[in-house]
Amino acid sequence: MLEYIQFVLAPQVVTGLALGVAVILVALGLTIIFGLLDVINMSHGEFYAMGAFIALALGQVGLPFWALLIAVPLLMLPIGYVVERGLIQRVFNSPDRHVTTLLLTFGFGLVLEDGLRLIFGPNPHRPETPIPGAIEILGTYLPLYRLFMVGFGGLLILATALIVYRTRLGAMVRAAAFDRNMAASLGVPVEKVYAGAFAFGVALAGIAGVLLAPIYSVFPTMGRDFILLAFTVIIVGGMGSIGGATIAGLFLTQVQAISSLYISPVWADPIVFAIMVIMLVVRPRGLKGRLGHA
Amino acid sequence: MRDMIELSNLHVHYGTSHVVQGLSVSAARGEVLGIFGRNGVGKTTLLKTIAGWLKPSDGSITLEGERIDGRSPDRIARMGVGFVPEDRRIFPGLTVEENLTLGFMQASGRSSAANRAALEAIYEQFPRLRERRQQAGTTLSGGEQQMLAMARAMVGEARLFLIDEPSEGLAPMIVADVYRIIRNMKAKGSTILLVEQNVRNALDVCDRFLAIERGRIVHSGSAASPTDTAKLLQVIAV
Repeated sequence: MLEYIQFVLAPQVVTGLALGVAVILVALGLTIIFGLLDVINMSHGEFYAMGAFIALALGQVGLPFWALLIAVPLLMLPIGYVVERGLIQRVFNSPDRHVTTLLLTFGFGLVLEDGLRLIFGPNPHRPETPIPGAIEILGTYLPLYRLFMVGFGGLLILATALIVYRTRLGAMVRAAAFDRNMAASLGVPVEKVYAGAFAFGVALAGIAGVLLAPIYSVFPTMGRDFILLAFTVIIVGGMGSIGGATIAGLFLTQVQAISSLYISPVWADPIVFAIMVIMLVVRPRGLKGRLGHA
Repeated sequence: MRDMIELSNLHVHYGTSHVVQGLSVSAARGEVLGIFGRNGVGKTTLLKTIAGWLKPSDGSITLEGERIDGRSPDRIARMGVGFVPEDRRIFPGLTVEENLTLGFMQASGRSSAANRAALEAIYEQFPRLRERRQQAGTTLSGGEQQMLAMARAMVGEARLFLIDEPSEGLAPMIVADVYRIIRNMKAKGSTILLVEQNVRNALDVCDRFLAIERGRIVHSGSAASPTDTAKLLQVIAV
């Protein structure tokens, strides 16, 4: 039994946790954008892929992995800002905003994906693991890079929650999420807050791309697969909820990781999506309340 | 002296409904102007249009000579217009202090020390809010929420206040407190457009008033004139 825990269960839990924090980072961006702008960003997966490709390109010109963790989100911030101001805000006040922004971001995601294919080619690229090797903890060998991902991703999730819930900037975001007009009438520059939050979400997706690139390879359609899991996380956690996304992200990736020990791994995804369907029927608003709503 | 606010031939539509129909009025600096009328005649629409929540279909709004119609609500707020809406609109996930400090954005060029001093001055004026500053804003009583909504508009550097139905749903003792605050604002030289169903209370603080019917001014006068106010009460049938 002990050997099973040491050599099978514990490494699988850590693998699930590493995937979990990356999914949460992508889902946080998605859920903040939805909670604040009421926009379902269908191109979010492609921003995750873009982060991975930018990391790949900068890595090839010699930038070390540690610098990529700073450089990629810094590059993604202005990209996100411009996309929000240049595309989303132009149709934001249209009467059928939900459908228009959904189609707009879907189309933009396709453009990004094809752009990545044209620039980098259709084949997968596999960056080297920045922290090779494993560490023995209580007789269990755990991959160092995955442990780093859990720690670093966890810190980013905590920092995001602190920014949103403990700073005046976060108070502006929450106020604008709840009541755009009232926040504006207090002088909050709502349109800049929207663009800033969108850019922040895009940057988080970019960091997730950097972190997962050495594990899952980098290819143009990588965002399409990953975004389904991120959408599942925010639906189960509650659309627009940071706490909900974190709990659901950890839970669903553990379900995925542990269930694949006992049944064929091809069943892991259907189980996760079935949880989402059940959640939509039983508790459509998800585990937690929406951003800005108490 | 230049008017603080001037509306000229203002028209506002809600879809096909013509809510404000060619309304022209002005208020001088330091003046309190009461806006009265039955429900649904366009009073709240008028304030929302000045605040930038609604766009006028025609006409102009100027704040001390500068056009503000068509500008965004945050720009209008930073130009010095404070809005206390009818339903108070306290942000549910935010504490009392977070609700208040959002108002700093209205005075975006002000130093942190000046912001702290402004907050301290608000707490001096509203000691109940100081006691409850870490409490969620929406857990306050109705009267306290009204005070918070007013304090939040006052913590910036507004020159003009738009106050919509401040006594709605409040007990008489609390209403007296609300009007004490409005009198203080007036004493400090603030210009106020006050929409109110409780006409008798409002007339005590107003300098002038106007009555609206179907989006048009049907009567206006001085709050100090018994003849004008008697006609007002007839017009709005209180």
